[in-house]
Amino acid sequence: MKKKIGKEIISAENVVKKFGEFEALKGITAKIFEKEVVVVLGPSGSGKSTFIRTINRLEPHNSGKIVVDGVEINDDVKNLQKVRSNVGMVFQQFNLFPHLSVLRNITLAPQKVKGLSRVEANDVAMSLLERVGIPEQAEKFPSQLSGGQQQRVAIARALAMQPKIMLFDEPTSALDPEMIKEVLEVMTELAESGMTMICVTHEMGFARSVADRFLFFDEGLIVEEGTPEHFFKNPKEERTKLFLSQIL
Amino acid sequence: MMTMPKININEIKNWTINNFFGSKLNLLLTIFSTLFIVYIISSFISFLSSAEWEVVALNKRLLLLGRLPAEDTWRAWPILWLFSSILCSSIGAWGNPKKSELLFILLAFLMPAAIFFSMSYIVHISITIIIGVGSYFSSRIIKKISAIKVVMYLDTLKKILISLWILLIPLVFIVLLIGGGPKPNLWGGFLLNILLASVAVVAGFPLGILMAIGRSTKLPVIKTACTLYIETIRGAPLVAWLLLAWFVLPKFLPNFYGLSEISVVIRAMIVLSFFASAYIAEVIRGGLQSIPKGQLEAADALNLSYFNKMRIIILPQAIKVVIPAIVSTFIGIFKDTSLVFILALTDLLQVGRIIPEQDPKFFGKQIEALLVVASLFWIVSVALSNLSSKIEKNLGIGTR
Repeated sequence: MKKKIGKEIISAENVVKKFGEFEALKGITAKIFEKEVVVVLGPSGSGKSTFIRTINRLEPHNSGKIVVDGVEINDDVKNLQKVRSNVGMVFQQFNLFPHLSVLRNITLAPQKVKGLSRVEANDVAMSLLERVGIPEQAEKFPSQLSGGQQQRVAIARALAMQPKIMLFDEPTSALDPEMIKEVLEVMTELAESGMTMICVTHEMGFARSVADRFLFFDEGLIVEEGTPEHFFKNPKEERTKLFLSQIL
Repeated sequence: MMTMPKININEIKNWTINNFFGSKLNLLLTIFSTLFIVYIISSFISFLSSAEWEVVALNKRLLLLGRLPAEDTWRAWPILWLFSSILCSSIGAWGNPKKSELLFILLAFLMPAAIFFSMSYIVHISITIIIGVGSYFSSRIIKKISAIKVVMYLDTLKKILISLWILLIPLVFIVLLIGGGPKPNLWGGFLLNILLASVAVVAGFPLGILMAIGRSTKLPVIKTACTLYIETIRGAPLVAWLLLAWFVLPKFLPNFYGLSEISVVIRAMIVLSFFASAYIAEVIRGGLQSIPKGQLEAADALNLSYFNKMRIIILPQAIKVVIPAIVSTFIGIFKDTSLVFILALTDLLQVGRIIPEQDPKFFGKQIEALLVVASLFWIVSVALSNLSSKIEKNLGIGTR
């Protein structure tokens, strides 16, 4: 499969994020292009989750510049709303709303933020539930679903806002092994449909087959980047080699 | 088929011996607790055999309505009818009571009815019963119809009932004041306790939510203001605030339409509302802290506004966690209303205290009066805590 990668959609320049004295990001510079699937790799504590969380300002960065689809992320609330309406996010712990039904989890934001009517939002939600393969679960509550089903609902919930970019923060790390596959299938389908995706994941099989580019993080910096072939055949940096030897 | 478990006499015998007489300590505990129980029961029986309820029987109106003038007694009936119709329809619409629970509800109604029954009001009491039973069954019928056919009758009924509950307090005020009713200072008895508690809860709850959110924000000015408010109000006893309302509040109010001479009852309502809000705020803040950070992040990532995030995502979950604590705050506030005797109001407890002193023949009959007072407080408190466990079960469906 060969798809056409479009123009630049996210640009990060020298992004620094501090937690107190600790520098989680020490100056990240990266560009992401439309329809590109980027997999972010790295040992734990390397700043990879922090980086994708700065893209929708769940973690405000301390210095540097992040521009998403032509809008700079800063303290301006209007800018933030524009960015967030273009960026969907899927979390490690799903973060579904436990007191709302599956359908309501998905229809909530389209109704309240985009102003869709209940009927329109329901239609959107049902077609997305079809797409992730669990339309029959619409009336259930999140706690009645398996982990894999919950994560698929979470993906549908993010997609319901029709984002241009999807962020995945270790979407399969909290799942039992037999449920990882169903979530990865949905993500693969999404990648093939041309969605711009940034995924933090340790699923190397998925990463290898779907990713256009890898970013390797260590200690708050991008140590190495390149295509999957580059990473698997001849990584340059010692730290990359060490990391890959540990997880492969 | 379920088979009845066979009752083995030997097993019972062994169990009894092991648990009651198994060791020296168990033996000692068994003897002492038996003696204690026998003592309590026998003294209660001897009290009942010598009890004279005339002190209560002659002062029914005083206990229920306090100093409300006799010509205004009729105002109590529409209030009771309104309340019983809304309450019974609500039980029918929301609750799914088992037969044993219905029996309990019936007993809870019958106990005060038996104590306060009077032949001169037989018509009024019958109307109350008919309204209550009628409302219950009509809302059951509506529930059944909407279950069979797919009609939204039940939703409509619930909406109407919710608005009626919200309108109940203003309606009660109207009934009490319409056509030159008595001054609020003359409201009294059990009616006063219930009114004060309802107003305090209804006004204090939303205020408490606002204060809890305010104290949880990162905005320093709002956070400090809310913390100051909560800690100031919780920092002094309710009695002190009531006295303050009596002596000081009029000086702060502008003399506008006689606002500075505002009735003591209204002042007590204001103080109780503020007092309730401070306690409710802390309870709800506890609930807010129990919500995982991921819920906030998910709401932010979906671009929900702050208002929607709080209203739809955070508060429902936070309040659900703390329902038992909220209800126990409500019960506390309800019982605290008996402190308004300090403002020379005659609430139920105050009536119970003074009626045995009115007449020499009632001297020494305090226990009878106070027992009736206590049982009325008890009924309401138990009803509230039952309601709370019902709500918890109903909301349990979406729990983690």
